[in-house]
This record gives sequence, C-alpha cells and structure tokens, in this order.
Amino acid sequence: MTAAFAALAFLMTGLATAQTLRRAALWRLGAAAPVDWVSGLAKLPKRYLVDVHHVVARDPYASRMHAIVAGGLLAATMLAGFAILPPLAGSRFYWSVVALAFAMTLAGSLLVGARRYPKTPKRLSKGGFQRLPFLLLAYAAGGTAAALSIALSGPENPVLLVALLVAAGGGLGLAYEVKDGPMRHAVAGALHLIAHPRQKRFEQGRPDAALLPLDLDAPKLGAELPADFTWNRLLGFDACVQCGRCETACPAFAAGQPLNPKRLIQDLVGALAPDGPTYQGSPYPNARPVAGEAGPLFKVIGPDAKIHPDTLWSCTTCRACVEECPMMIEHVDAIISLRRHQTLELSAPPQKSFETLANLREADEPGARPLTARGDFAAGIELPVISKRGEADVLLWLGDGAYDMRYGRTLRALIKLFHEAGVDFAVLGEEERDTGDLARRLGDEATYQGLAKANIETLQKYRFNRIVTSDPHALHALRNEYRAFGGDFEVVHHTAFLLELIDAGKLPTGKLDAGTVTYHDPCYLGRYNGETEAPRKVLDRIGLSRVEMARHGRRSMCCGGGGGAPIADIPGDARIPDLRMAQAAETGAEMVAVACPTCTAMLEGVTGRTAEIRDVAELVLMAVETGRADEPRRAAA
Amino acid sequence: MTRLRRDPRTERAAARTSGAERPRYDLALKAAPSRRPRRDPRAEAAAQRVPAAARLRLDRSQFGAATVVATHVPERQTDKASPKPIIVENPDFLVLVVPDMAGGRLGEHDRQLFGAARELAGKTGATLALVGASSADLGPAGADRVAVVARDPDAYDPDARAAEVVAAMRALDPKHVLFPESADGGDLARRVSVLTGEPLFTEAEQVSASALGRPARCRKVEQRSVPTRLISVAADSVASYSGAPREARNEQVDLASGPAKTAGAIVSATRIPADPATVPLALADFVVSAGNGVTDLDMFRQVVAALGATPGASRVLCDAGLMPRAAQVGASGTVLGASCYFALGIAGAPQHLQGVADCEHIVAVNTDLHAAMIARAGLGIIQDAQLVMPAILEELERERRETGT
Amino acid sequence: MRIAVLLSAGRHPVSGKPTLPRTEAQAIRMAAGLGAATGLHVGPDAFPAEAALGHGLDYAAHIACAAGSDPVGPLAARIVSDAPDIVLAGRRGQGGDETGLVPYAVAARLGVPIVPDAVAMRPATDGLVEIDQALPKGVLRRLVVRTPVVVTVHPAAPPPLPFAFGKARRGSIERIAAAPTDLAAGAPPPEERPYRKRPKMMRAAGGSAADRLKAVTGEATAGGAKVLDHQTPEDAAKEVLAFLRRVGVLAPASAAGPGRRPAASEDASRHATS
Repeated sequence: MTAAFAALAFLMTGLATAQTLRRAALWRLGAAAPVDWVSGLAKLPKRYLVDVHHVVARDPYASRMHAIVAGGLLAATMLAGFAILPPLAGSRFYWSVVALAFAMTLAGSLLVGARRYPKTPKRLSKGGFQRLPFLLLAYAAGGTAAALSIALSGPENPVLLVALLVAAGGGLGLAYEVKDGPMRHAVAGALHLIAHPRQKRFEQGRPDAALLPLDLDAPKLGAELPADFTWNRLLGFDACVQCGRCETACPAFAAGQPLNPKRLIQDLVGALAPDGPTYQGSPYPNARPVAGEAGPLFKVIGPDAKIHPDTLWSCTTCRACVEECPMMIEHVDAIISLRRHQTLELSAPPQKSFETLANLREADEPGARPLTARGDFAAGIELPVISKRGEADVLLWLGDGAYDMRYGRTLRALIKLFHEAGVDFAVLGEEERDTGDLARRLGDEATYQGLAKANIETLQKYRFNRIVTSDPHALHALRNEYRAFGGDFEVVHHTAFLLELIDAGKLPTGKLDAGTVTYHDPCYLGRYNGETEAPRKVLDRIGLSRVEMARHGRRSMCCGGGGGAPIADIPGDARIPDLRMAQAAETGAEMVAVACPTCTAMLEGVTGRTAEIRDVAELVLMAVETGRADEPRRAAA
Repeated sequence: MTRLRRDPRTERAAARTSGAERPRYDLALKAAPSRRPRRDPRAEAAAQRVPAAARLRLDRSQFGAATVVATHVPERQTDKASPKPIIVENPDFLVLVVPDMAGGRLGEHDRQLFGAARELAGKTGATLALVGASSADLGPAGADRVAVVARDPDAYDPDARAAEVVAAMRALDPKHVLFPESADGGDLARRVSVLTGEPLFTEAEQVSASALGRPARCRKVEQRSVPTRLISVAADSVASYSGAPREARNEQVDLASGPAKTAGAIVSATRIPADPATVPLALADFVVSAGNGVTDLDMFRQVVAALGATPGASRVLCDAGLMPRAAQVGASGTVLGASCYFALGIAGAPQHLQGVADCEHIVAVNTDLHAAMIARAGLGIIQDAQLVMPAILEELERERRETGT
Repeated sequence: MRIAVLLSAGRHPVSGKPTLPRTEAQAIRMAAGLGAATGLHVGPDAFPAEAALGHGLDYAAHIACAAGSDPVGPLAARIVSDAPDIVLAGRRGQGGDETGLVPYAVAARLGVPIVPDAVAMRPATDGLVEIDQALPKGVLRRLVVRTPVVVTVHPAAPPPLPFAFGKARRGSIERIAAAPTDLAAGAPPPEERPYRKRPKMMRAAGGSAADRLKAVTGEATAGGAKVLDHQTPEDAAKEVLAFLRRVGVLAPASAAGPGRRPAASEDASRHATS
C-alpha cells in the first residue's frame, strides 16, 4: 500500500504535467518571444521569494496562508513520492515526517477555507476557487490520516485505504484543476516568473515601466486577437489567481467606470479559451453590454467581442494594478497593446480624443497652441533660451503645463527658485515639442515616435548636463522611454532637484507655518520611477508637518489624469479626483502638496474641496520668501 | 464721439418703485430729465448748419440754439434723422447687390454687404438690390434701387437663381456684383462665376473703390486686386452703411433666361425643421434655460418640451452636474445664435450674457428686479421661476383643452 | 456606388504643417459609408493623397502638376475617365487661392449638378442619392438628386475619423504625371503680400468700456423692455406665452400641438416624461 501512496504523488505530477501541456498548446498560439530558460529558471527562487513575496506580504493573512498551504502541498507531495524507495517506505520516522507535512497542508487548507467561508470577501472570485479549499482539505486530511496510520500501525491497516482514496480524490482533483481551475496559477505563475516579458523588473531594483516601442513596419500594429499577444504574455494572463488586489487598487473601478483589471485579464484568458469556466468575480462597474464572441483568432475589443472599447479607454495607465499584482502580470502593457491596434489600424480611439491626436500629429502640441507661446507664462521673469547660448548646466523641460494658467504659477515659482539658487539653466523655447506621452498612451505610437525622434534630435543639438522637469509624464518619457530611440539623458524631477539645492545650502529656506500638508504621489513619479522620498524630504526641510494618506508612495492612488483618461472621459459614477480629494480630506490636512501638472489640474478641479492644492515648488518658494522676511528680524535680535 | 451725460442720482430716484418695504428700483424705466442743463453738440451742429449748401457748412454765430436737451437717452440717432433720402438720379454705373435676406429680412451680413456696395458705388454710382421681396429696410441699409424678382421662397433651385442673377447682369450691365460669403450667397456667387466664366473675388475682407483684399493659402498671404466684377464679401469685415437712407427706388428688370443645363437633376427638396430636443445648442432657434432659481429640473424639462424649445443652463447648474455640460450657455459654454432666449431663474453674469448677445428676443423670469438678465430682457418678470414653470404648463394644458376638444 | 473625393493640400493654421483640410477628411468618412471611394489630388506634392489614406481611403491618385496651375482640367479629365457616381469635395479646398470654385468648375465642366453643404448622404433607388443639406439653425434640407453629382461637405457633417498610421501604410497611391496645363487660366495672378490679421468688425462698438461691454452682452439692443412686477405666476405665464407667440417661436394657441413644431415637441415630451 505504501507504493500506492507514492504512486498517487506521481499520478498527480503526471496529471498536472499533462494538463499543463494541454494549456501550453493555447499559449503556443501567441506570437514568438525570446526567452532565456536557463537563466530564468536559475532566478526563479529569488524572484518568487523576494519579488512575489514582497507583494504578497502586503496582505499578511494571505501571505501566511499561502506559505503554509503551498509549502505544505509541495513538501508533502514530494515526500510522499519518495515512498517509492523501499528503505524509506519501511521507515516509521519517514512516515511521521510525511504526516507532518500533510498536517501543515491541512492547517493551510483550513486557512484557505476560513478566508472564503462563511463569507467570501468581495474582491475574491468565486467559481472554481470555492471548491479549492475542499480539494485541499480532502488531499491534506486524507494524506495526513494515511501517513499517520502508516507511521503508527504499519502499512497494513484498515484506515489507510479509505484515507488514501480521500487523498487521491483531493490530489487528482487539484492536479486536474491545473488546466482551467484555480491551480493553474501555480504552474502558469512559476512559468511566468521564468519567462516574464519584463525581465528587468526583477533586476534593476526600480520599476521597469517604459512601454516597449512598437515596430511600425510590423505587418500588424498592436494586438487585435488574443493570438497577437506574445506567448509569454498569454501565459502571464493565465497566471492570474483572481485575488482582486488589482480591482481594489484600480481608480477607474473605484469611480464606477467600466474597468476591472481582474475581469479584463480574465476576459483576455476567456478570449483565448472561450470554453473555459465562466468568470465569477466582480464585474466591470456599469458594464457596457457585449455580445461576447471569442476565440484565439477573433478580435478582443468591440461591442460584439469580449471587451467593450469603453473598458479599454477607462484606464489611466496608473499601474496600480501592476504594482499590486502578486503574479507580476503586466496589465498596462496589455491595454496599450490593444489600444495601439484600435488607434493605428482601426481609427478607433475614443471620439473625444480625435482632436487631441490630430493636434499632436499636426501641431506637435495637444491643444494646437503655438510652440512659441509656451514661454508666455513667464512674462516678466528671465527665461533663458538654450538656442541663444548653446549650452547650460540644466535644461528645464516645461511640458504642456506651461500653457495652463494655474500651472504657470508653479513654473514661475520654480524659475524664481532657479534664479535664487543661481542655477545655470535654459529652456528649449519654441523648439520644445510635446513629449508624445499622451499620444503613446492613447495608442498612437506613430505620432509618438515622430515626436520622440524630433525631440531627441533637438536635445542632441545642445550641450547640457541634465534635464530638470516638473512634469513626471515628461520625465518618464525623457528618462525611460526615449532610450529606445537613442535618447539617453539624465533627467531629474524638480522635487529631487530642489532637495539637492536645499541640501547644498543654495536655497536658504525659512520654516513655513502653513498647517499640515499631505503629499499626493504622481503615478509617473512614484510608481513609474520609484521616487517617493525626495518630495517628502523637501516638505520636511521647509518645516511643514506632514501626514500621509492611507494610500501613498508606490501604492498611491491616481488623480485620474493619466493615460488620456480625462480626454476619453468615459462616464462612471464618480470622478477619480473627487475620490482622491476625499482621501486627502480624511487626513485632515489643510493642504495637498502635488508635484505634477496633471495632478494639479485634476485635484484643483474638484468642487467643494477644503484643502488647498500647492505644488512643492510653490511651497519651497513660499519658504524661501518667509526666510528672507525673517532675516532682518533675526539680524536685529 | 459724444457721450451723453447722465445724472445717476436722479435717475435712480425716479426709478424707485413705490409700495415696497425695501427700496426697489425699476431700472428699465427711462430716467426723467435732470435739472442740470447739458450741451448736445450734435444738436448744436445741426442748428448751425447752413441750409442749401452743397457741402456741409456751419454758421458758428448761430450759437445757443437747441443747446439744452433732455438728458434721457435719446432714441437711436437713425430714427431722428430719417427725413430726406439721398437720391442718385442718373448713376454712372450700377453695383448689383444680391443679399441673402433669410426669412425676408436683412441680416447683419446683408447690411455689411450694402456697406461694401456703397463703398464701391461712391457718389456717382448706384447700388441695386436684387431681392425676392422688398423690405423697408433696404433704403436705410444703402440701396439706391431695388429690383424684385418674384420667386417661391421655399423652392430650392440654385441654378435658376444663378440664371436670374446672370440675366440681371445682362440686362443692367453692373460694374460690380456683390454676394455675401455665406452658405447661400457663397454658393450663388460661385454658380454665377462658373456660369458667366468670369473670375470671382471670394471672401473679400477689405473692400474699397481702389482695391479688394482676401486671405489665401491658409491665411498665409493676402491677395489684393483692383475691384473685379464678381465679389463675395466676408462676414464681419466691412462696416455696414451708416449714412442717410437711400432712395430704394423700384426698378423693373427683365429676367428672361433659358432653362439651366442641369435642370431636373434635383428630384425633390424637403425642409426638415430642426428637432429642438436634439439640435446642438449653438444652432437652436429657441432656447429655454435654467439657472440657480430652478430647483425642479424635471419640471423644467417638461416646460422645455412643452414649449418646443432646446434646453440650456447656466454654469452653476452644469458645474453641479444637474445639467449636461453641453447645455451650458455663456462665454465658456455655448454662444447662442437663437432668435429667442427664455431665462428661468438666471441672474445673468456677464459671461452668461455674452452667450446670449446675439439673441433678438429675451424673456427672463427672476425674483431679483435688479438682475442683469432682467435688464437685458425684452420681457422681464419678477417672479419665482419655480412658480412660473407650473403655471406655464397649466396654461398650455388649458389652451390645449379649450382648442383641442 | 463609386465615389471620388477631391483632396487639397491644406496647412495647419498654427503649426503650418501640411494637413488634410477637415471637411475633406469628413468627406472621406461620408464616402466610406456609401461605397468604394478613391481620392484625387492635383498638385505638386503627394502629401494630401497620403493623408487621405490614413483617414480611411484605400486608394488615391496623385496627379502631379506644377504649383499654381489650374487643377480643374486634370481633375475633370480624370473624373470623366473614372466616371464616379458622386464627386465629394470639402467646402473649400486649401493651399491654393482658396476660392472654393474648383468643385463648381468641375461640375460645370462635367455638366452635372452641384449640391453644397451636405451633412449626410444615403443611396436611394436607381441612380438617385438622398443628400441632407445643412441650413442655418440646425435646419436640414433633404434633397433627392440624380447621379452623377458633385457634393461639397459642410463642417457640421460627422467628425472625420482620426488619422490611422496603419491604414495610411496599407493604402496605395497611383502617381500620374499630368499633361502640362495652362497656368491659372485667364486672369493674371493677383498681387500677394503676407497676411496681416485685422480685428473683426464689432457689431455695435461704443466709446467707453461700459458701452463695449454692453455691445458684447447685447444689452444695448434691449429697447422697449417691459418689466412686470407683482404678478401672480398665472398672469406671468400668460404674459410669457403671449410674448413668445408675438416673436414667433411658439405656435398660436389655436394650432394643433403645444409647440411650433408639433411632431418634434410631442416626441420630446414623451422623452421627458418616460
């Protein structure tokens, strides 16, 4: 009978492998992608234990639960397999160790069950996942009983057969679930960690968020069918464990727009394999009706297909879902891929973005404002233009916030601070085009590449040490995304630069007495570039008492202004900036510090807000002016 | 430029309405003349004018006549100086003017067209208006002659109209023919140009007797030329005629013309009136708009539907999300081209009034007598819009009952 | 139904970059709903034909000729040989003299009617096409016209589809060298100078700032105003209705329906109450 126990372990492994291979046949429909299996496999333990665990541990219960149940399951099954060796099969000690492993699995299974019963939390999907605790329980309880019975009363006992049958029921059920059920996440997840499309995100210690450039000579632009995704991305979608962390993080979901990242990934899975189990998690809020036709070679987006275009255009590309995903799925990449096809091949970006995209293409500027007018906000302040000088230490990239009356105030403050600190700086003047970020997020890669190449050419004409910008979107484009087109620049956000100036003693700041302040992290600075500390340090340096919102740093919530979402303007129940300002109000802060023109515009547009919106640069200027006012008083004293 | 003097204190005192607990003022009433004498240089100059002189001559010794005038705002200057029309008996040449006259009335663009025509005609030429129906406005607008062509105003046969103009050109041999660069006028001008084979100077922005100017090549260059025969004049570029009224003498013109080459190509033409519920606000003809004084928006929508109007709103309601943004009237919303605007509970911020500047008729219902909207309105009613709305519905319902059954 | 779309070489008003004029892009969208459309451009530069592909045409012909030469001859020749049912053009071609005469001249050369300011088109029965023409104030004129016909597109037509790089890449352009034509037939080229923007005429300009404000807000035109105070809501309602009838936006009480346009307003009230 001990051999039967071992056989069960092998049978399970065999069944799981067979099911994986059946699933892999679907992944193979995807486009080719180069994968370094050897190095991926070598790095798997580290990626799992460090990168995945870092995300999972944000929910301590889930983290403990997963460690116990997954560790127990693997250990118990592996140990049971060793029973094929006769010396071990006769050892009572060996069987007590096996029993211990199964007991651990049993404890884990109970934790899994306790999470879903009696009441399943909203963010978790039901369906097959509701069966999982019972399968685990059967396998673990049967295994424990069987191993324990062998350890206690030898291989021939009446309990063993029954216990083994129970364990076999549970264990083979689990192995069967590898193709379409909840256990798929384990196999696909491990393979996804090996063959991840963004290997760099595990290696460079900071986010790898630059969109991959699209080959404009490719026969088809962007993803139309599930099979247009590369195979390892299809594998990534299959890794989804439907934990719903993404949906709780998604600003569009919170605002009642028809987007739910979990549902989106499951729809992509369902589009590839339409005969799989139906999705039983929370739906898209205010879901638009779709006919739901699907297949590996049927289009993904459209009212007649699986995903409605409104879902696609609700995304703010804030990457909160990517940040929260324990399976390392790249939702935003998938969305941009799909958007690229809509815009580049089908002329189907959101109706309201037609004009913006045309302006970017024809006037290098989303509002078709003359490039010569970009510096108009600085009337009365000296704004050196680099073409007159040829070189400067710092090139100030103004971005399209410069055209905005409100944001002009911030830029004026920044320029005054530069003058105050004696920074050798210049702007591009009328040679500065839009970075193309907006066009790119709206899927218009052709316009983006045109703008990127033109900007790189302009920048390479001049000599400067680094670029400073107050626009995190421009920062991300210039620093990370232009690299693929040959633009390698050192780019610093104005908050980091101001911190540098303050720490070097070039900006004598007084202490601001302006009540409490809370800092709102721009997605493109915090999540996209991992810079969350510099702005906070600046606020601390100028003596503000700082409180944090519940969601801050890399887990901050978006203002709703990214990814072309305000232009697409997909209706929902609430507006994202209203939600964010409500979160800010919860802290009781009198002021919200921002560091991005888009955030400024979005948060300032909230009606009935009680907190003031101030850019970090404005606050620093206030502090410098207070310091100057205090100077004579101090001297007198 | 003469500015009339006003005495605000007296005006205000005179406008005070009796019987109210708080002081209330009816500013629409014309203020009574103040006690202080004021000079009216225009009237003085008119009194000093030497009669029967070919050129304007003033006798400065005639001082003091008609110096003291009432200080209340006089009626429009044009009404006062109506008596003698200017007559050009034997013009050296004719300037043919083909105004749109939408709805049988002279529009602003048509008036500017006559301004341009008078500029070209000068003293010795005469302007001749080729119109579908005569109008009393033609003389003051600057028409020396009027030729009426009987035509069915609802029929759509642009080629026939072009043939008419060509026939008139043949019969009268005008030196210039002027069209407005509007949808209809521009179309007609081009048809005439193609029909006669003569070049058309389109969209003229500068018109003088010596030169015409127009933008070309995406407004990068300006083309200039001596006045050609066929000209279409851009809107809001040339001042309308402001001199004394012209004679507007009726002229008989023989407009016999053969059938057009493409006759019969247009099988049918039907006018489809705009659906007020769906027409874009900027194009709507009659807009009923709600402001802060309206709290029951369902009732407001019923009133709008019952009146067959297009709904609008003030910025406050749109900001609050009570009405769609597309319904916002004003400088930052939609600037209306409606002929009638009915404002319910709107005080009338300057930005809002800019949006209704072109509306001919305005009705306002507001609780505040001093609201700018009431001052701007042709009919202002000091009443709560919330009470007037059900009354309107009731009244319409009553009328329907009485006439319908 | 076969459609030819006339294309011109516009320039962006701010950046000066070459662009396809908006009404022509709208014409392409309109043509796509009718049948097989081809683009036609006569000029020195192939850009408009390329842009038109991105806006939705599969095929465009570029007839190369010297700048400033009259496009009507080559256009008409090409249209005669292609024999499309409908020739669509923007309201006014850009890049040249911009007189808007080309569609008229082409129509005259072909001896076919021209219908200006279309916002929608539908094919009707044999050889007929139904065209909705935009009139001021949202009014439409529905014409049934015998093809072939030349149609110009009104800016109120459905917005153009955005430029799609993929489509522009896939479409094909036929390049044709035109026979040298007479330069701008007849009239000598007018004198040209750089454009100087002039202020628009203000409709009722006054002297002081207050007068100008009044002119902008229209207050100056409110003559003979009537203000009624201390009225019951019922009397007020009667006054309002009487005024609306006097200015002609509301049908008299004896008319059949509640509004001036019975069918439309009944429809609207149904929407409002449901």
